[in-house]
Amino acid sequence: MRKFAVSLTAFAACLFAGTAMAADPIRVGIVGTMSGPYALFGQNFKRGIDAWVAQNGNKVGDIPVEFIYRDEEAPNPAKSRALAQELIVKEKVQYLAGFYFTPNALAVAPLLGESKTPLIVMNAATSAIVEKSPYIVRTSFTMWQNTKPAALVAKERGAKKVAIAVSDYGPGLDAEAAFKGTFEAAGGTVVEAIRMPLATTDFSPIMQRIKDSGADTVFTFLPSGPPTLGFVKAFIDNGLKASGVKLMSTGDVVTEPDLPNIGDAGIGILSTYHYAVSHDSPENKAFIDQFVKDGGKFDEIAMTSVAAYDGARLIYKMIEATKGQRDPDAAIAAVKSMSWVSPRGPVSIDPETRHIRQNVYLRELVKVDGKLLNKEIQTFEAQPDWALSKK
Amino acid sequence: MRTVASIALDATCYGMTLFMISVGLSVMMGLMRIVNLAHGAFAMIGGYIASYASVSLGLNYAIAIPLAALCTILVALPLEVVLYRRLYANSDALTQLLLTIGITFLIIGVANYVFGPTLKKIPLPASLSGPFDIGFRMLPTHRIFVLACGCATALALWLLLERTEFGIRVRAAVDNAGMAEALGIRTSRIYLATFCIAVGLAAFGGVVGAELLPIEPYYALRYMVIFLVVVSAGGAGSIAGAFLASMLLGLADTTGKYLMPEFGEFFFYSAVILIVAIFPNGLLGREH
Amino acid sequence: MATRAGPSGIASGLLSPELLGFLVVWALGTVGYVLFPDDLAFLTRIVSIAFLVLSLDLVTGYCGVATLGHAALFGIAAYAAGNAARAGWADPLVLLAIGALVGAVSGLATGALIARFRGLPQLVLTIAVGQLVAALCNKLGWLTGGSDGLSDYTVGPLFGRIAFDMYGRVAFLMSVAILAVVFALLLRIVRSPFGLLTRAIKDDTVKARMIGASIYPRLVAMYGLSGAVAGIGGALGAITAGVVGLDGVSFERSASALVMLVLGGAGNLWGALAGTLVFHVFEHLVSTANPFHWMSLVGAMLILVVVFAPRGLSFGAIVLWSKLRARSP
Repeated sequence: MRKFAVSLTAFAACLFAGTAMAADPIRVGIVGTMSGPYALFGQNFKRGIDAWVAQNGNKVGDIPVEFIYRDEEAPNPAKSRALAQELIVKEKVQYLAGFYFTPNALAVAPLLGESKTPLIVMNAATSAIVEKSPYIVRTSFTMWQNTKPAALVAKERGAKKVAIAVSDYGPGLDAEAAFKGTFEAAGGTVVEAIRMPLATTDFSPIMQRIKDSGADTVFTFLPSGPPTLGFVKAFIDNGLKASGVKLMSTGDVVTEPDLPNIGDAGIGILSTYHYAVSHDSPENKAFIDQFVKDGGKFDEIAMTSVAAYDGARLIYKMIEATKGQRDPDAAIAAVKSMSWVSPRGPVSIDPETRHIRQNVYLRELVKVDGKLLNKEIQTFEAQPDWALSKK
Repeated sequence: MRTVASIALDATCYGMTLFMISVGLSVMMGLMRIVNLAHGAFAMIGGYIASYASVSLGLNYAIAIPLAALCTILVALPLEVVLYRRLYANSDALTQLLLTIGITFLIIGVANYVFGPTLKKIPLPASLSGPFDIGFRMLPTHRIFVLACGCATALALWLLLERTEFGIRVRAAVDNAGMAEALGIRTSRIYLATFCIAVGLAAFGGVVGAELLPIEPYYALRYMVIFLVVVSAGGAGSIAGAFLASMLLGLADTTGKYLMPEFGEFFFYSAVILIVAIFPNGLLGREH
Repeated sequence: MATRAGPSGIASGLLSPELLGFLVVWALGTVGYVLFPDDLAFLTRIVSIAFLVLSLDLVTGYCGVATLGHAALFGIAAYAAGNAARAGWADPLVLLAIGALVGAVSGLATGALIARFRGLPQLVLTIAVGQLVAALCNKLGWLTGGSDGLSDYTVGPLFGRIAFDMYGRVAFLMSVAILAVVFALLLRIVRSPFGLLTRAIKDDTVKARMIGASIYPRLVAMYGLSGAVAGIGGALGAITAGVVGLDGVSFERSASALVMLVLGGAGNLWGALAGTLVFHVFEHLVSTANPFHWMSLVGAMLILVVVFAPRGLSFGAIVLWSKLRARSP
C-alpha cells in the first residue's frame, strides 16, 4: 500500500512538473509498424515526423519536444494497448500518435480519457475510430472519403455496368459499400460484387468471374502489398485490359513504391486518393526535398509520411495552445477546425468529426521521363469522411 | 463449357505453380525426414538473387534462374554443415520446427535489412510477359512457361530418383541409414547432395513462382503454411504425390474462388482436411 | 505481498511441487509488480500468453500432439468472453469461466478430430483447422468485429468492487492469481494417474495400449483440458486488453506459442512458463532497443538454443527440480 502511495505521488509530481520546469521536454509516443510486412509504412511515420522537426525545430516556443517510437508490428490490439500503457505510464508521454491498424487504435481509445492523452491517428482508416473518444484526431483518410469520388468518376466517364472486387476485410467492405451506394444512387448498375480472401495469390478465377459478369469497368480495393500487384497483373495478363475493360481503384492499389513492379502495362489505371507523390505544389516539393535530404528514398515515400508530417503539425499546435500543460480539452479545441496547406493540398480538421477534410484527386497512371507516376487530373475539393458527415 | 475449360486451365496453372514452389520441400521432408519450415526462406533468397541479377546486373532471365539456384545453394551450404546436419540423427519434430523457424526469422531479418521492406521485381523477358492468345481466351504467357518448368522438373526428379545410381543410394540411405552405411554408401554425402537439390529446387520455384507469390521479406512466413500443406497432402517424398496434390488443391482453390470467392479459403483448407483425413500419409505417400 | 502467497490451508492439501509452483508464480508476479510497476500491461500480456503455452504443453509436451493451430482455442474463447461482455455479463470472473468453458468445448471438438492422427498428418490437420477458424472469424463480422476487432464491450469491476485501472495493477494481480492457481492445478494433474498415462501414450503408444489404456478418449480429454486452459488465457486477454482481434486465432500466434514452448522445453510445465517469459522479455528488450531489426536477433537466439540447449532452456531446471523432489519424501 505504501508503495502504491509513493508511486501515485511520483506520478502526480510528474503531472505538475510541467509548471515548475518549462524546459522539461514534452514527450510524444508514436506507435507504428516499424518491423514486419508493413514496416515501410511505420518507417514512413518516422520520416514524416523527422521532416517536420527538421523544418520546424525540435522546440515549440522554448518547450523541447521528444518523439518516442514503439513497434505495433501487426494487427495485435493487446500488444498495442500494452505499448500505449507503457508510453503513458512509464515514458510519461503527453500525446500518442501513429497507429497503422484499426484494431490497434481501437484498443488504445479507452485509455485516453483516464490518462488525459490526445491521440492523433496517422493511418488506421475505419470511420468509427474517431467516435471512440473525444480526444482522437485523424490526419489520414477513410475508405468512404476516397471511394465516393471514384464512383462519381466512374459514372461521369460513362461506366454502365461495374464489377466491384475488394479484399474481404473491414476496409474492403467499407470500400464496397461506399462505391455501391454512390454509384447506384447516381443511376449506375453494379453487376458483381466480389469479396476476395486476403490471402489470395492467384487472381485468375476472379478475373474470369469479372469477364463473365459483362462489366465494362472494374472497381477494386486491396491493401497495399503483394496482393495489389497480383491483382493488377492478373487484370492485364488475363486480357481484360486488352478487351477494353477499365480499371479503377483507390490509391492503395497503385502506391508509388509498387509502381515499378506493376510496370508499363499499368499505364492508364485510374485511382482516387488524397495524396500523390507527384502532387505539384511548393509544400509538397519542400516536404519531399526534406524527406530525401534526411536519407529517405524517393521510391519509398508512402502516404503515411504525409499523415505523420501533418500529425506532427497538429501536435506542435496543441503544445503551443496548452503551453506544455496536460490539457487534452484545450489541445483538441485548438486544432478543431484548424486549416492549413499540407503537402497533399489544402486540408482542415472537421470540428464535428475530428477527421481531416481534404481534396481527393483522380489520378491516372502515366509515364513521365521514364518514371511511372500517378498524375492528378481532377480534384474533388474538401471531401469529408462520407461515412460520418453528409456534406 | 468455355468457362469450365477456362477454370480448369487456371486451376492447372495455379496447381503447377504450387508444385514448383513446394516440390523442393517434398524432397527434403520425404528423403531427409526434416520438416523444413525454412523452405520458403530459401525460395525467397532465390528470388532476391534473381531480382538482383536481372535488375542490378542486367542479366537475362534465362541466366538469372540457374544463377539464383546456384547462389542459394552456396548460401545454404554452411547452414547444412553447421545446423541441419544435427537434425538428421535427431528426428525430434519439435526441435526441427524450432531450428527451422529460427533460421526463417534470421533470413527474414537479414533480407529486410539488406533489400528493404518493398517488393522486388524479377523482370520477365518480353517473350514471357503479357497475355497470350490460346484461341478461346487469354492466358498470361508466363503461366505457360511455369507449366513447362513444372513438367520438366517432375520428369527430371523422377528420373533422378528412380532411374539413376544416385537415386538408388538415396533411397537406400532413407530406408535404412545404418545398412546403407555398412554397404559402403556415404550417407552424409548423400544427405548433403539431397539437401542441395532441395534448396536448388526451392530457389528455382521461388523465382518461377514469383509472378504469383512476389518476393518480399515476409515471403518466408506468409506462404510457409501453403508449402507444408501441399507436400503433406501429396505424401512427403513422393514427386507424383506432390504433383497430384498440387493439382487437386489448385483445382479446389480456383473453382472455389470462381464460384464463391467470399469463401475462397474454406475450399482450400476443407480440401486439405479431406485429403489428409482419408489419406493420412498423403495421396501417394508411404507409411513411415 | 508475500503473505498472500502462503495460505497454509491450501498448502496442506497439496503436495510440494504444486505449492512450489503456486509460490514461484506469485514470487515472479511480485517481483514483476515491484520492479516494473510501469510495465504491468506488458506483463499481463505475458501472463495471458503463458496460459496458451501451458495449454499447448499439455497436448504437445505431454501427449506428443504436434500442433500449429492451437491459437484457435485461445481466440475462440476470447471472442466468447468478448461477446458475453457485450451481452451484459460484465463480471470478469464470469467471463473467465465462460472462456474456460468455451475453450474446453472447442478443445474437445477439435481434439476429437486431431487425436485420430499422428505425426505429419496431425500437424497439417491442426494447421488446416486453425486456418479455417481464422477465416471463419474474419467472415462472422457481426460476432467478431472482423478485421476491426471486437471492442464495443465493457468489463465490470472485479468482485463487483475493484475497477480495472489505467496502470493495469488490478488486471495484473488478478492474472497472476489465476495463473498461480491454474499452474498448481496443472502440476497436480500431470502427476495424476491420468497425466502419467498420457505421457506413457506419448512415449510408446503400443506399450500403453498393451497395458490396457484406451488411448483416444484420454487424448481427447486432455485436449478438452488444454482448451479450458487456453480459454482462460483468451478470456484474460479479452478482459485486460478490451479488444479481441483476429491475431488471437492467427497462425502466427500458434507458431509463436510453439516456439516459446520448445524454447523453454516441451513436456514440462515449468518449461512452458520459462519459455514464455524468456521469449517475451528477449523480444521486448530487443524490439525496444531496435524496433527495425529485432527479428534476426530472435531468430539467432532460437538457433543458438537448438545448438546449445536442444532440450529447451528448462533442462537445467528439470535437473534442479528432480533433485528437490528426491529430497522431499
